[in-house]
Amino acid sequence: MTSTSRGLRAPASRRAVTLTLFTLAGLILSAAQALAHNVTPGDAGYIQEIWGVHIIPFIYLGAKHMMTGYDHILFLLGVVFFLYRMKDVAIYVSIFAVGHSVTMLLGVWYGWGINAYIIDAIIGLSVVYKALDNLGAYQKWFGVQPDTKAATLVFGLFHGTGLATKILEYQIAEDGLLANLLAFNVGVEIGQILALAVILIVMGYWRRSPNFMRQATVANIIMIVLGVILTGQQIAGYIAST
Amino acid sequence: MNNAPKPRLEDLPSKAQLYRSSIAAAIGAVVILVTVYLPAEHAIDPTGLGRVIGLTEMGEIKRELAEEAVRDAETHGDQSSSVIDAIFGAFIGSAHAQEAWRDEVTFTLAPGATAEIKLVMEAGMTATYAWTATGGRINFDLHAHGEGKSIDYARGRGETAGEGSIEAPFAGEHGWFWRNRDSSEITVTLQLRGDYSEVKQTY
Repeated sequence: MTSTSRGLRAPASRRAVTLTLFTLAGLILSAAQALAHNVTPGDAGYIQEIWGVHIIPFIYLGAKHMMTGYDHILFLLGVVFFLYRMKDVAIYVSIFAVGHSVTMLLGVWYGWGINAYIIDAIIGLSVVYKALDNLGAYQKWFGVQPDTKAATLVFGLFHGTGLATKILEYQIAEDGLLANLLAFNVGVEIGQILALAVILIVMGYWRRSPNFMRQATVANIIMIVLGVILTGQQIAGYIAST
Repeated sequence: MNNAPKPRLEDLPSKAQLYRSSIAAAIGAVVILVTVYLPAEHAIDPTGLGRVIGLTEMGEIKRELAEEAVRDAETHGDQSSSVIDAIFGAFIGSAHAQEAWRDEVTFTLAPGATAEIKLVMEAGMTATYAWTATGGRINFDLHAHGEGKSIDYARGRGETAGEGSIEAPFAGEHGWFWRNRDSSEITVTLQLRGDYSEVKQTY
């Protein structure tokens, strides 16, 4: 890579500042020089360097976000825990996908800035809710079974709001925003399907075990604990931030 | 105890199905690792596919930013964090029409190349600027550091012109980090006037 350099031409009547512009190689110079422009590294840094439509990279980022977002994965695990037939899995996962897609897209498009701690605390609670549901707690305590599909949709809406909050922090360029956002959403769904594939294979082996039902109780209690921890962390973060 | 009946074996995938699924998942994971993850995270692209679909570029940018962050920390590790929100906005005024400029700086950046142009200013000084980019669209970060402080005034990407003024809240170097993320050579012309003692290229 080459580049040219030119000296400056000072406008008439004003003093010229001596300024030498070096040849700037495309490669980053190895010398440790002052740079100090508050570098943002990682995915956010990448996003803040680019503009225009980048379909595949945003699909990747969406999938990565979903697969590394343990709160989403935990909720998904809770939802499919006792769904034994693929048809049911498909229905519930689709409901969840519709829910989080709606608020993710609208949230970013209209810039709904919701406090990340609050929304993540609600997402933590969604894990607690689903694990309690799996244990039949609502029937035991209140004598009613809340509609599981409706709950999946409502919590899907909250998960999408959480996704939107994270995407807004990425500061995606206006140029190409809609296409990139849709690509990100497609990536989120791909990531969800990939995570689900692993969950279903593991669950497939586990469900064949004669101890499954007993262990399932323990597993859902552990999920409650994890959900409470997630929620508590976010509440603590919220308090610390105010 | 659970809100579901015990699964019936006929509803579950058979052992043979699970075995096949496990093998397929393992192969899929390796394929994703090699063709997607390594290019996107580490710019390692053994198949060449990452380059075609734009993921290797992502990996390169991330690696570059990580290296810059390390160097940044070494050079300016003692600085307080930036106070973007508190001060942002107060500094972006509009430049008045063609009063005589004091300095004009012109430089050309190849794709991927960077430059840093700084004004040496004392606290309270104000400098006015206008710049244009031709040949492509440029990214910049207008920031300052000095006296152990740093500020990010404004960032932009894919832009072709800008104008405004910098009002220095502290003594130090105030100016632009430029980077060409476009695919063609870009020439930037930066015009300056106001209170500053020196224009220099710091990087």
